[in-house]
Amino acid sequence: MVIQKDTGTAHNGLGDWYWQRLTALVLLVILPLPFLLLWGVYSGALNQFALLDLLDHFLSRLFHTLLIVAITVHAYIGLKVIIEDYIHKAMLRVLLIGAMLVVMSAAGIWWLALVWAWGG
Amino acid sequence: MQQKGSHQTHPMPLSPRLSIYRWHIPMIASIAHRASGVALILFMPFYLWVLHGMTGTPEDFDQAVALLHSPIGRLVLWVAGTAVVYHFCNGIRFLALDAGWCESQQMMRLSARVVLIVALVTALFFGVLLW
Repeated sequence: MVIQKDTGTAHNGLGDWYWQRLTALVLLVILPLPFLLLWGVYSGALNQFALLDLLDHFLSRLFHTLLIVAITVHAYIGLKVIIEDYIHKAMLRVLLIGAMLVVMSAAGIWWLALVWAWGG
Repeated sequence: MQQKGSHQTHPMPLSPRLSIYRWHIPMIASIAHRASGVALILFMPFYLWVLHGMTGTPEDFDQAVALLHSPIGRLVLWVAGTAVVYHFCNGIRFLALDAGWCESQQMMRLSARVVLIVALVTALFFGVLLW
């Protein structure tokens, strides 16, 4: 058996594994909510006033914030694992994972700003 | 275990070596988990865009709703809805496997089949709903 020592997975595998599952449990509870929201708007059950009333609520902001953090971590680890599996050139892999982290953080921060911006 | 650097002369088979495995149901379930995960990540910018619109001016809201109702919007909702239900169900399956439940080969196959069938029925249901 040859053990391949390569950049990336050494020593942080368990951390990734743990965070992937922890965020999965969080998402299990709160990920359905934005889809229900979308469905409410799509079906016409929610007009803009009703929607903003919902989103304006402190709990809604709290859930949205938790959702953003959990989804960013979960998606980052998930994509990282996929990249590690399919991209075999270490340099390219490291660059891709780094770029992904930057893009996802930016998206998460923009989303956070969006969630906390309206109302007051 | 061999000495350092031996992988340079004998390249290690890197995962996943799809071509050398016979396809079976749990493998399809696993790959579909990745595919649906990627689909959901791609859905995020769309959701952010729609959320941005829905919380803007009344005109922005109407535009966002119109986007959702457009053929592309419906297609995106259909793919994302199906992907989230699949990822959700198979995620529970993975968590159960991690906890050591249903680890036998038969149960792995059965649960993979159940999850895939649920996704298929969901896809049909959402298809009818969004048509």
